[in-house]
Amino acid sequence: MEMIRKRVVIIGGGPGGLAAACELHRKGIRDILVLEREHQLGGILRQCIHDGFGLTRFGQTLSGPEYADRFIDEVKKLGIECITDTTVIDITPDRVITSASASGLLQISADAIVLTMGCRERTRGALSIPGNRPAGVYTAGVAQAYINLKNIMVGRKAVILGSGDIGMIMARRLTLEGVKVVAVFEIMPYPSGLPRNVEQCLNDYGIPLYLSHTVTSINGKSRLESVTVSEVDASLKPIPGTEKEYECDTLILSVGLIPENELSLKAGIELDPRTRGPVVDEDYQTTTPGIFAAGNVLHVHDLVDFVSLEAENLARAVVAYLDGSLPSCGITIETDSSIGYTVPQHISGEKDITLSLRVRRPMKPCTLELWQDSKLLATKTLRKAIPAEMEQITLPVGQLVNTNSVKVVARNA
Amino acid sequence: MKGVTVTMDEMFDVLIIGSGVVGSAVARELSRYSLKIGVLEKEPDVCCGTSARNSGVLHAGFNNKPGSLMARFCVEGNRGFDEVARELDIPYKRTGKLVVGFTPTDRERLLAMKETGDKNGVPGLEIVDRNRINKLAPAVRGEFALWSPSTAILDPFQYTLGLAENAALNGVRFFFNNEVTGLEFSDGIYHAKTTKATYRSRWVVNCAGLGSAKISAMLGMGEYTIHPCRGEYFVLDPKIGPLLPLPAYPIPNPAEGGLGIHVTPTVDGNVLIGPSSEYIDGDDDYSCTQQAMDLLIKGGSKILPAIKREHFIRNFAGIRPKLTSESEGGFRDFVIERRPEAPHAVNLVGIESPGLTAALPIAGEVIRLMQQVETFSPNHGFNPVRKGITPFRNKTPEQQAELIKENPDYGEIVCRCETITKAEVLAAIRNPLGVDTVTGIKYRCRTMMGRCQGGYCQTRVAELIMQESHKTPEEVLYSREGSYQFTGTVR
Amino acid sequence: MLREFTCICCPNGCTMEAVVEDGVLTKIAGNLCKRGRTYVEQELIAPTRTISTSVRVDDGELPLVSVRLTAPIPRERIFDAMAEIRKQRLTAPVVTGQVIIKDVLGMQSDVIATKTVRKAEP
Repeated sequence: MEMIRKRVVIIGGGPGGLAAACELHRKGIRDILVLEREHQLGGILRQCIHDGFGLTRFGQTLSGPEYADRFIDEVKKLGIECITDTTVIDITPDRVITSASASGLLQISADAIVLTMGCRERTRGALSIPGNRPAGVYTAGVAQAYINLKNIMVGRKAVILGSGDIGMIMARRLTLEGVKVVAVFEIMPYPSGLPRNVEQCLNDYGIPLYLSHTVTSINGKSRLESVTVSEVDASLKPIPGTEKEYECDTLILSVGLIPENELSLKAGIELDPRTRGPVVDEDYQTTTPGIFAAGNVLHVHDLVDFVSLEAENLARAVVAYLDGSLPSCGITIETDSSIGYTVPQHISGEKDITLSLRVRRPMKPCTLELWQDSKLLATKTLRKAIPAEMEQITLPVGQLVNTNSVKVVARNA
Repeated sequence: MKGVTVTMDEMFDVLIIGSGVVGSAVARELSRYSLKIGVLEKEPDVCCGTSARNSGVLHAGFNNKPGSLMARFCVEGNRGFDEVARELDIPYKRTGKLVVGFTPTDRERLLAMKETGDKNGVPGLEIVDRNRINKLAPAVRGEFALWSPSTAILDPFQYTLGLAENAALNGVRFFFNNEVTGLEFSDGIYHAKTTKATYRSRWVVNCAGLGSAKISAMLGMGEYTIHPCRGEYFVLDPKIGPLLPLPAYPIPNPAEGGLGIHVTPTVDGNVLIGPSSEYIDGDDDYSCTQQAMDLLIKGGSKILPAIKREHFIRNFAGIRPKLTSESEGGFRDFVIERRPEAPHAVNLVGIESPGLTAALPIAGEVIRLMQQVETFSPNHGFNPVRKGITPFRNKTPEQQAELIKENPDYGEIVCRCETITKAEVLAAIRNPLGVDTVTGIKYRCRTMMGRCQGGYCQTRVAELIMQESHKTPEEVLYSREGSYQFTGTVR
Repeated sequence: MLREFTCICCPNGCTMEAVVEDGVLTKIAGNLCKRGRTYVEQELIAPTRTISTSVRVDDGELPLVSVRLTAPIPRERIFDAMAEIRKQRLTAPVVTGQVIIKDVLGMQSDVIATKTVRKAEP
């Protein structure tokens, strides 16, 4: 089998991978290879035809394909090597990649590997919704792929479970195409997507959003005929007697995204059960030396702009790694129950570090605080914080009093 | 359905009703003889009912009453399986099995099971202590256990498919979406009326599983009642697979009519928890209930405490076609009979566990009963060998490179979770039985079976089905008739 | 009268409390930037929105090209615009930025392609 050597191999040619490739090139790395399993670059953005991308990164609002094109054009202009129609099937801890394509198997030994594989959707099975298994149950992203890429319509009358952003965006998309969207049901007492999507995807089209409700049965033996919906109590358990049946031929699930880390596991990388992405240090390096991760494979982002920015930061760290100048990161970031997770999970304490994090539940005016032992290292005041929105706080260098762990908490103001 | 037509006057020597594992085994074994054979199936594919929806365990035969057909055919089926698996090119693994116990009463019952097994001729049964359990399956709980080395795991769909495809290659014809609604016997000929057509035959074999009492009544033997008893399962992520090298069972509750909630690895590396046991009214209510799911989590964790919620990929339900009612409990022996009132019909009723293991010996018995009145001449062209789809995954890189070189479609990974290639999906779509439903393809090549449940590959699979079988989106079926996947195009 | 608005201009989605007297905005709070005020003012007169959808492409490597409006249109005219877009049928190649409908229904907004669809390889 053919074995080639590369300085940096990037796995996944979506917004993360392409941003990392361009930034690596700008920082002087030339021997780069991007591996993409699809025929086209751009990743999930190819099917996200709605607008609202790019305000942070490019200062203007773009559709998903246009946002991707910015990076694809740049990659082409810089002459970065990209191989499409190629799926990576193995990565070893000593950074040997095996990929498959119609032209054969390829093995690549890389000095550094960048993981930008994105994420996948949570499915009905993972939720274990009771009932039958008829046709007509789709995750939001699958419905989006059929409708926006394959020119295939999935149904006529839809119920949406989960108020994730893709679910709400699909509610609008289906409505525009003449599908009756009956309602969106959300098990939590608050929407799980961004407020502006509640406004422009649901309210604009008169689609009701029921909070603290979930689907408790899927009905229909051939094609979906109806769903049974129940109210849930504070512990998210369905309340008996509140069942109501909604007639529909389609159920769209928008119930969460999971970082896609099967390859990471093969490379011996430790995952964080909270993010379900790799544990990384301040340089986005995973627990396997020389393998880095950014974007949705690391933690699920609500905005693609932050994926690109994170990947660009990662690229600068990879350059330092190739120069042999990455610090060791012995300080662990801990959280209390107010915080869902942080990225990174480990820092060196030798430079300013911006932590990305999510609160666990919605908070009105609140402060994010970084503590080491009894010393308050940094604070940030927020007007509101919701799990749907990633927050960031910077820990300035020189504030640390020792090499113990740092704790992040969010407190109501 | 592709290329399956029948004219009204077409006459068969044998019609088999039902293409579960027993119907398919009967079809395959009968194709050794020079006979014109047809299989009538109400579903759009083989193995849609009880045969597919179980633990996938090749039983050893220590749970069945000595002297019963169940015991005899189970032990026989287990013994002959190595050769059959080789002929049909199907995956299976002799893992052995543990039935675990905790209390002195449990030990008594395990000893009784061992004694039953010894009487039935089950090889190698042993009572083992915790040290042995540690060696065999350290993650499994239990103070001691009954160790059965001959128990194996198999993929029940692949096994049934192997039998059916082998039968088809030897001339048997399958008619799907044909539910038998009436059977008339006149001038020595059966007229089987189905939802699609009428078929004529000299012989009828009732392999209708859950519908076997109904067919039996149509044959004039109306005394049987099937009591459908649903069992639900969870499928877990292969991540947890390495913790469970073999099936681990609790001691069955004799009143229940099942083997109790157990955990078992699948040949594909997943883990199953199940089944629950619930008598239900309808015989095709495969819905899953919250109560049963909660029960499974509890029952499964008792034997394998490492199970976590995040490992759950999906659930499914199967239905046992029991001859015993809920109040009666337990098991009643298989009914395999040819009676004077229907001399050219073989009637099989109540074929439940261990029917999967016993299918081929059952088929042998069916043929013996038929040959009591008619001698069949051999089919000299019979070929017992059937080739399955060559999988890409789990091959060495050298073998994989070779596969791609021979067929570049092996280089296109369609399903990333299970590493299924375009070559395998195409082979599944071009199957000898002409099935082109989404679930038919899914079960044949395992695409969409992984942790993302088709999130990545299903659009590609749908596209390939449309391309290969020249279908519009509206014509793509998920599984049974009426289960349309799409309503048309967007533009 | 106190009314609540959620700004849709950027992902922040500011929740704003607006005091409206006789249909005119007199006081606003909660917006992080001035676009919030402009948004509310426009909402009070006539809400406008953009849409994204697809147009059929023949002979392309994809069956559809994604399109969007270059400027917002009155919200109540969305389905009129959709009907116009649905009538379109293109032949590959189509390039990003290509104008599919100029000034759709006289609403001073163009429908443009947001993706490049090359000709299908034979």
